[in-house]
Amino acid sequence: MAATPTPLEVRNIKKRFGDTEVLKGLSLQAQKGDVITLIGASGSGKSTFLRCMNLLEQPDDGDLIVHGEPIRFKTTKHGREPEDWKQVVQMRAKLSMVFQSFNLWAHMTLLENIIEAPIHVLKKPKKEALEHAHALLDRVGLTARANAYPAQMSGGQQQRGAIARALAMDPEVMLFDEPTSALDPELVGDVLKVMHGLAEEGRTMVVVTHEMGFARDVSSQVIYLHQGLVEEAGPPDQVLGNPQSPRLQQFLAPKY
Amino acid sequence: MLDISTWFNDLLAGNVIFTADTLGYYWEGLVTTTQLVFLSLIAGLILAVPLAIMRSSKHKWISLPVYFYTYVFRGTPLLIQLYIIYYGVVFIDGIQESFLWPVLREAFYPALIAFTLNTAAYTTEIFRGAIKSTAQGEIEAARAYGMSQNLMMRRIILPSAFRRALPAYGNEVIFMLHASAIASVVTLMDLTGAARFVYARYYAPFEAFLFVAAIYLCLTFAILFFFRYLEKKLLAHLRPQDA
Repeated sequence: MAATPTPLEVRNIKKRFGDTEVLKGLSLQAQKGDVITLIGASGSGKSTFLRCMNLLEQPDDGDLIVHGEPIRFKTTKHGREPEDWKQVVQMRAKLSMVFQSFNLWAHMTLLENIIEAPIHVLKKPKKEALEHAHALLDRVGLTARANAYPAQMSGGQQQRGAIARALAMDPEVMLFDEPTSALDPELVGDVLKVMHGLAEEGRTMVVVTHEMGFARDVSSQVIYLHQGLVEEAGPPDQVLGNPQSPRLQQFLAPKY
Repeated sequence: MLDISTWFNDLLAGNVIFTADTLGYYWEGLVTTTQLVFLSLIAGLILAVPLAIMRSSKHKWISLPVYFYTYVFRGTPLLIQLYIIYYGVVFIDGIQESFLWPVLREAFYPALIAFTLNTAAYTTEIFRGAIKSTAQGEIEAARAYGMSQNLMMRRIILPSAFRRALPAYGNEVIFMLHASAIASVVTLMDLTGAARFVYARYYAPFEAFLFVAAIYLCLTFAILFFFRYLEKKLLAHLRPQDA
């Protein structure tokens, strides 16, 4: 085990927006093949926590260690920021993110979206990137839409395309920020199916989600956040099957 | 038939426009106008790209000087700018002895400089608006995928901003074509200059100016057509479905 460094480790992350402290010291460790789901009510800080992992948000305190390499921070008059942005750029290339609102680049076709970062960030040869992209499109069932622009695709297609874009980076860890929340109910299934497949092949994933069924079926660990703190964490049958805190019990209870 | 052809011959006999002489003037005017507008648009475009990036900078000491420049050039009439450059340049110490003088003495180059600086100012603001309106999510995705600031500008922000700026820029091109008419006031024989000359020579205001108006209309049509083609090609991603 010691031979491969932990893909992602965060320790004691704190973040405040103005006067409100949204993250009050959160830690997480994703070993290879782990699927960690973050659940919690709106405003519990789960998305902010996820965004701190690739520094889309700058944490005010805490450590971030990607593939055994700690990110170095410095403190300036604007607050805490990374010491070396090159290190951040390299780190981000190892973690790819799937967003709630897909965020495909609108002026590029789906295929161009997928090969963009591999070619220009990872410096892959174009031919190789294209071969990989076609394999990924086939995998997410979008071969026929390769030359479509994002605006011409349904939400579910866009999100599966975004997952293909994330996979094209050969990421150490995939971060999912509520990937099904912006989708029509009938499109959620296709996206979850793709994510299910990824979990089964041993991808390391951190997923912010409201899909409790998904959390139960595929996670190795479920973390329930409440007001910027971990309220309960553990394997899914324990956290979801036998919740201890009244708050989590209420969160999981049928709403109607 | 005979009636019509005599009528037509009579009409042509009295006309001053469709003679080799006059058409020659218009042709030279057309060449001058085209050169002036085309060169100033190209130069303005080349200037506007880095200026728009600077103008969008969050550092005040980078964006403010550019804002000052665009504010001045958009806030004063092009004719005044042309006067200042054309008449003012003479008073720069030593300019008449410098190698630039043979160039600046001609009306063409001061006009080119004024038009370039003017269109660059407008184009900078058009691009800046387009850069500012880049979808935040797309920028975030670029950052999350390990793009540096430069790469993101080059691959994501600018290509999408240029496309969005296209319709507004097409208007700016037409505006420049029509604004170029004022070059004739500094003795330049552009299209309008040619029309004024023909008018003065034959005292035929309607013929002289209607004919030149028709030429401007044709040029405008060509520009519109070109931009419509570009939009069709480059803005395909904004159309919901391929037609």
